[in-house]
Amino acid sequence: MILIKDLKNRLGLLAVLILLSTNTFAQTEGEQIFKQNCTACHTIGNGRLVGPDLEGITKKRDATWLSAWITNSSELIASGDADAIAIFKEYNNIPMTAYDFSDKEMKSLLEYLAIEVEEDVATAKVGTEATSKGMSSTTLLLIVAVVLLLLIFVLTSVKNSLKESLQQPTETVFETIENFFKAIWANSPAVVALVFVVFIILLKVAFDAMMGVGVTTNYMPEQPIAYSHKIHAGDNGIDCNYCHTGARNSKMAGIPSANVCMNCHTYISSGSTTGETEIAKIYDAIGFDVKTRTYIEGYEQKPIKWVRIHNLPDLSYFNHSQHVTVGKIECQECHGAIEEMDVVRQENDLTMGWCIECHKETEVKMEGNDYYTLMHEKMKEKYAGQKITVDKIGGLECGKCHY
Amino acid sequence: MTKAKKYWKGLAELNNDPIVEKLRQNEFMEEIPVDEFLGDKDLSSSSTSRRDFLKFLGFTTAAATLAACETPINKAIPYVVKPEEITPGIANYYASTIYDGHDFASVLVKTREGRPIKIDPNKTAVNARIQSSVLSLYDSSRLRNPMKDGVDSDWETVDADITSKLNEIAANGGNIAILSSTIISPTTEKLIADFSAKYGNVKHIQMDAVSYSGMLDANEASFGVRALPTYNFDKAEVIVSFGADFLGNWLNTDYATQYAAARNPKNGKMAKHYQVESTLSLTGSNADDRIQIKPSEQAGLLSNLYNALNGSTADSRIAKLANDLLNNKGKSLVVCNSNEPQVQTLVNAINNILGNYENTLTLSSPSYLKKGNDTDVATLISDMNAGNIDALITYNVNPSYTLANADEFNTGLAKVGLKVSTSLYMDETATKMDYVCPDNHNLESWGDANPSHGTYTLMQPTINPLFNGRQFQDSLLSWSGSDTKYYDYLKNYHSDNWEQKLHDGYSSEVKSAIILKKINAVTPSFKLVKSDAIEFEISEKISMGDGSGANNPWLQELPDPLSRACWDNYLTMSASTARDLGITNWNISNGALNGNMVNITVNGTTYNNVPVMIQPGQAVGTVAMAVGYGRTAAGKCGDGIGFNAFALGNGEAIIEVVGGEYEFAATQLHHTMMGRDIVKETTLADFINDPTSGNETVLYATHDGNKPADQVTLWDEFDHSTGHFWNMSIDLTSCIGCAACVISCHAENNVPVVGKEEVRKSRDMHWLRIDRYFSSDMTKELSAEEKISAIDMYAEMEEPSANPETVYQPVMCQHCNHAPCETVCPVAATSHSAEGQNHMAYNRCVGTRYCANNCPYKVRRFNWFQYSENDKFDFNMNDDYGKMVLNPDVVVRSRGVIEKCSMCIQKIQEIKLEAKKAGKTVKDEDAQTACSSACPTNAIVFGDVNDVSHEVSKLKDDPRKYDLLEHLNIAPSVFYQTKIRNKA
Repeated sequence: MILIKDLKNRLGLLAVLILLSTNTFAQTEGEQIFKQNCTACHTIGNGRLVGPDLEGITKKRDATWLSAWITNSSELIASGDADAIAIFKEYNNIPMTAYDFSDKEMKSLLEYLAIEVEEDVATAKVGTEATSKGMSSTTLLLIVAVVLLLLIFVLTSVKNSLKESLQQPTETVFETIENFFKAIWANSPAVVALVFVVFIILLKVAFDAMMGVGVTTNYMPEQPIAYSHKIHAGDNGIDCNYCHTGARNSKMAGIPSANVCMNCHTYISSGSTTGETEIAKIYDAIGFDVKTRTYIEGYEQKPIKWVRIHNLPDLSYFNHSQHVTVGKIECQECHGAIEEMDVVRQENDLTMGWCIECHKETEVKMEGNDYYTLMHEKMKEKYAGQKITVDKIGGLECGKCHY
Repeated sequence: MTKAKKYWKGLAELNNDPIVEKLRQNEFMEEIPVDEFLGDKDLSSSSTSRRDFLKFLGFTTAAATLAACETPINKAIPYVVKPEEITPGIANYYASTIYDGHDFASVLVKTREGRPIKIDPNKTAVNARIQSSVLSLYDSSRLRNPMKDGVDSDWETVDADITSKLNEIAANGGNIAILSSTIISPTTEKLIADFSAKYGNVKHIQMDAVSYSGMLDANEASFGVRALPTYNFDKAEVIVSFGADFLGNWLNTDYATQYAAARNPKNGKMAKHYQVESTLSLTGSNADDRIQIKPSEQAGLLSNLYNALNGSTADSRIAKLANDLLNNKGKSLVVCNSNEPQVQTLVNAINNILGNYENTLTLSSPSYLKKGNDTDVATLISDMNAGNIDALITYNVNPSYTLANADEFNTGLAKVGLKVSTSLYMDETATKMDYVCPDNHNLESWGDANPSHGTYTLMQPTINPLFNGRQFQDSLLSWSGSDTKYYDYLKNYHSDNWEQKLHDGYSSEVKSAIILKKINAVTPSFKLVKSDAIEFEISEKISMGDGSGANNPWLQELPDPLSRACWDNYLTMSASTARDLGITNWNISNGALNGNMVNITVNGTTYNNVPVMIQPGQAVGTVAMAVGYGRTAAGKCGDGIGFNAFALGNGEAIIEVVGGEYEFAATQLHHTMMGRDIVKETTLADFINDPTSGNETVLYATHDGNKPADQVTLWDEFDHSTGHFWNMSIDLTSCIGCAACVISCHAENNVPVVGKEEVRKSRDMHWLRIDRYFSSDMTKELSAEEKISAIDMYAEMEEPSANPETVYQPVMCQHCNHAPCETVCPVAATSHSAEGQNHMAYNRCVGTRYCANNCPYKVRRFNWFQYSENDKFDFNMNDDYGKMVLNPDVVVRSRGVIEKCSMCIQKIQEIKLEAKKAGKTVKDEDAQTACSSACPTNAIVFGDVNDVSHEVSKLKDDPRKYDLLEHLNIAPSVFYQTKIRNKA
């Protein structure tokens, strides 16, 4: 088991290494800017959304034009640029939001757009494969059982052949098993030991069952809107933070309000799998007339009652921003491969043991954060040669989560 | 075994009466009407047997149990359109103003998801009452709708009625009066002027519940300005107060900050503070020298002082202070609480000859916080009684409760044609009105204020109105026939730089000083009288103020700093007067305090069965009672508590002792330190000589000689070298006992209110208490000198002096680094953190209370009940509105667990997180607990001792620093600074 666990870790590490090695710093920044600002309306190689598919855009237009367009498209249109006017008309006269990027940001964004799309896909594939789980424990147990059964047959046949050579009567496999049990039954200390073992096993089963009360791993309720994270976060690559704005700076990641949905769905009223029915539910909630593409005056808005999947008990305090912004943990580490889920399910058990396990193993991201500088120097002396994990800075203390 | 005997059940059986046999066959004489009883004739023929019934019952129970195992479905409902400024989980702060006609403060309102949950100081300090006003916002006793003749109505009807009646009155040349509290809002003043212009014949009368009219009149007479002086206590070196409780309630202005600045021993000098008073006030308890007088002697002593300053001999009681004043001309300050214009004129003259004007006080840039005029109010009442007032509109006042002549007011009110109240509550006055047009709470309103010359503050709503109320200003606009909203009116008035002013909450402009009239010479004519009568004086409590917040359970349960009693008012009396009258206070077997009762008559008003609290420091021959109690229409918490002292007024009292016992709810039952050094103190002179004076280290005799406690320890040291080490310093010299920290702690940490009965059982839940100790005439030195036996010595030590020195000591969990509580917890629910706090995991606690027993500071509180889900505790936590004030970052503790101060761990975690996100270290000013941020005198300093930039790290090495119960050697993270008195 230890070996397997280790293997899992190594696979994870490998995945991180691969991801890091293919992305240089500038590209990461560009990618970030793209995901946070552009994915709501654009894709790279996945077709047009509100705006055009940006695959190969840097080859089609030069950098000066692009940066002028991004900075203020309306100005460019007004200046009478023929290309600009054509695009504006092609996309239903919807002006693109103006972005005030610095020169450096613009440069990294354009560099990111210039990367070959194939390479991007390849990286993603490696990443997902590598993060997929190792062998499950059930399969492992089955293999062990089969091996053990085989062993019985093999050993019986060995015994029989030995007996044959001694010219004693042989036994079938079933006779051997029967005799074995008879022998045990006749031996009272063995019976006591057996009963004891069975009792312990039953206790363990009962204990596990009790511990499982309230643990809702794989909870996968039906939601009022059949929203697919796979389409949004996976296929269209929208950054998690675009909708879950609180994750970076608040205690709660937050479920986006309907007006956030409308940023895109003002224009996209038909989905690829469910057609118009599901998106219409957003319009119903916020009061949007899809025919005239206007908001209905004086509409009584109806809140969308999502079913909460991750229920941490009230007695424990959890802060997303601590983990996302300070701890630099990817959403997937706790929530699983959300971008592959059509219907979201609870990936981890969210028990205290699970929290503690992670706090014991995760290293504190001290580098480059001045908050930790002084502490880091002292800690390095105190724990010379050891990893400075979350538990070493008090991450296992009761009061850090329970107050 | 003996042979079985036959016992007869009675003579009838012995005689073989046939009835016996009949009864044996049939137990019940009459047939029992089972079918009738069950109401179903076919029941006995039903196929469902009793066994089946039990099976069904069993099955249902099992099924219900199983069903309960299923995780409930929780809904997560986001905003449909999220307001831009709200991020769920992050607090927003708005700068605003609180002004309820009594208290004023420029505040920061903390809101979470659109709910105001805490009030912090912005430009001024915030006292306990202002902090509590956030709970008053969620008071379910507030009026929900406008009322017409005591019945719910709607705004259209009420407005139409009022407007038409006002027009009718105006057409007939009738008189309209607006009776309001002091108006410090320039726009409201303008609105009232607009209203007057529209209807003509409108009189605007201002009144203060606790009147300062005499002082205002005196200032008008002396200087031609009817306003209050701006005081600079920080510039004074001698402060003399004749009864003015300036650290508590006097003028409802924060002078504590200035006072603490004037008395910082680090500078090598402290302002000398004399208090001349009869009732021990918060200010008097902090004085270096307190002189007890009877209220009737005040004027005579002031005359005497005036003459003494002009060269004649002073009365022996004030000779010393007169001398000090003469030696500190221009650096002294004399204040007085009298409401007599002549007395206040005399005080003005005294300050004038001392050259204090324009130094320690000034009227050329005055304060406008009080404008009430007693003469105007008296005229209004007589006009009303004469039938000359046709319409009366009240705003922010409750005259039927606060006036001494409330009966006269009420009779007059009955003769007024149109009676309109704008009270938030159906209070004593509002119940007598035709129309009640409920105002909005400060936290729901727009507004402005001009508290002092050239200073302006703005008020902005932090929540949508909870009820169908409307702010008074909008009502006035509507009745004036204007379509403008008050918001536009206000914005228009402050149009210049509006956004910035609103963001800051205050603004100031340079205004030229007011030209004052030259002060007239006075010839003081008050004689020093000697009266044998018992004199009654009204006092004001830190918690209740003028009684407008009587329905606030936080305030009701806030112990009075001096008597330490809550949920009550009572007659305070000195021990010797009580002895003469045969009155005592005593503790019953569970420790609770009981007392005798009296009937008291003052100025013709009698109250029967008034409890007497024996109060050290109350002058002999005087009694006092706090205002703010005896409300009859305050709401569920405030009604029927105590007596209305407003109705008595100051004067001679006739006291008659009556039988019966009264049950007090006091949170501290001992009054002296019994010779121990719980509070270490020294004098300024000794401190200058030796900064460690009064702070002797406890030494233990060992084989290697005497050693301090920390060298003879059995404990292993915690390693606090890395990361933070949060410590708190409490300066007992600056702590004035104002209790702002206590309410701040309540609001921040969801501390439950338990009610009077529970407080009597010592089950109060305060995480932070302010212990108060009085000095005793008996000391160990004295007993040694006079060879008094230990038993007698300790018996006498229990008795506080008649005019005691008082010390205040805030005590919360001391966060011991060698915590006695942690070692005895059988389930490790309380444990130590690397950052120096003592953690408490409520969910792990099983309620053995071993920790509370082992805690030497007695700061751990046990939840006897689920205060949030128990109708017996009908306070804020059992009320859908009251629950809205709860801080979502702190757990509401359930029954059966211990709770205690966490050193505001939620705030610490938050500032750490903010620092980590910003990639910076934690700044000293950001490191605040609820108590430290509320402290007006900066007595409570919190921070990280591992960071040299934090003030607390210096305070930890201060020679004045000591640990409470140091000899126990439990290394608390909270430490104290010795108390220093400026006395010889």
